[in-house]
Amino acid sequence: MSLGRLLVTLLSVLTAAVLQTALFPALTLLGFRPDLLLLVVLAIALREGPASGAVWGALAGLLTDLLVTQAPLGLGVLVFTGVGYGVGQARPYLAPGSVSAPLLLAFVSGAIGTAGYGALASLLGEDRVTSTLLLQASLAVALYNTLLAPIVFGVVRRLFERFPGPSARVD
Amino acid sequence: MHQQRRARTLFGVLLFVALVLVTIDFRGGEDGPADRLRSGVTVIMRPIQDGVATLVRPFGDLGGGFRDVVSTRAENQRLREQVTNLEARRSSSVDLERENRQLRDLLAMQGRTELETVTARTVALAPSSFEWTITIDVGADDGIERDMPVIDGDGLVGRVIQVTPGASRVLLSIDPNFSAASRTARTGEIGPIDGRGGDPMVMRPLDPDADIEVGDELVTSSYQGGVFPAGIPIGTVSEVVETGSRLTREVQVSPFVDFTRLDHVLVVLTGGVAEVPPFEGTEGIEFTRPDVAVTNEPDAADADLDEEDTELQDGDDGGPDEDADADAERGT
Repeated sequence: MSLGRLLVTLLSVLTAAVLQTALFPALTLLGFRPDLLLLVVLAIALREGPASGAVWGALAGLLTDLLVTQAPLGLGVLVFTGVGYGVGQARPYLAPGSVSAPLLLAFVSGAIGTAGYGALASLLGEDRVTSTLLLQASLAVALYNTLLAPIVFGVVRRLFERFPGPSARVD
Repeated sequence: MHQQRRARTLFGVLLFVALVLVTIDFRGGEDGPADRLRSGVTVIMRPIQDGVATLVRPFGDLGGGFRDVVSTRAENQRLREQVTNLEARRSSSVDLERENRQLRDLLAMQGRTELETVTARTVALAPSSFEWTITIDVGADDGIERDMPVIDGDGLVGRVIQVTPGASRVLLSIDPNFSAASRTARTGEIGPIDGRGGDPMVMRPLDPDADIEVGDELVTSSYQGGVFPAGIPIGTVSEVVETGSRLTREVQVSPFVDFTRLDHVLVVLTGGVAEVPPFEGTEGIEFTRPDVAVTNEPDAADADLDEEDTELQDGDDGGPDEDADADAERGT
């Protein structure tokens, strides 16, 4: 990975974290905010494959862990790494140029990532997450992520085209 | 194939690192390395989030405004209900003031009617969908300590859970981990109130046959050695749910505070307005709960008040042990 690509990717993750904590609290959908960090990880994994998906997922997860207080440190790393790796593994099976497949992935990864994080937070941490809250949050985040996916994917694609790196395609 | 193996190995290593981090966090407990790391990140991120929040707040307000236009009818209805509730609150405040005056006269205590507060600006919210916390721009340098109550013009916002020199994190009262002692303003029924991750909150009255109706206002209470000053408005009862068991009842409460529009908040530095400090010389005096909370002679100079005169007919004040616990909990 070139230095330019590395910095751009890092900047994308940091920007997503700042926007998620500073902007989206005022723009909730059904009382929930989108998971921009997860979307950025998804966009990276779709372009670069499972290895990059896992690494940047771990970094985004660590950032999430450090910005929350109740859930144990490492929980975000666990979930985001899993999502990044999983999406990267699914990439070879997606039809090239497909519009619906990335959107479907955004919905599914949003639901699984949110539900996984909430369930583990409830099991490992002190969070008292009810099943109703888990279901509501998973669906709302999945829906919100799907709506924002074209914008985030578009921005990441443009940035990556401007700062090309060595292909990490894994077939 | 080689890249597949490399990705799989990397994935395994990262999962192992995640589990190590979870273990370190568990073993570290409060103020462990994980908490110190989080404090460091709060210090670094605070100015960035502050700047971005200032820049993007108009966009957020625009989005919020659009949403409000779409839901104007519902908003109008809500505001009408709020006016009705405020009218009721005003009358209950008058009654509370009268009761407060009487009790102060009775105990010859100097009333603490003013809360010492520090104004703070909301900088950011937690990124998780399961945690309702905010970062505010005041910290230890401003006299902020852990567990201090946070309020705004509408009522209870939450309590401080993490403090750094220039910023603090506040657990909002709608977070599922939040709990506070509460009572109804109209009838004085007490019970713990918990967050549920959004609207509504849930209160469980200690008395399952408690007289609680839709529209009743809930305020904080100082029973159970709670950390909150008594009398801070929390919300109104939106529904009383009868559970299968006759021993419990769930009361759903709509908070007064709009948690999507938290801009400025107040951190309460002082104790409660109705907290009764630990008494001295109480040997031999019986304490009866819940109807009679405190029986005491507050001062040698006022010793001619007899026992009956000093009884407080307020079911929510804890005994001296509980008050001492409350003070110990706050570190005072």
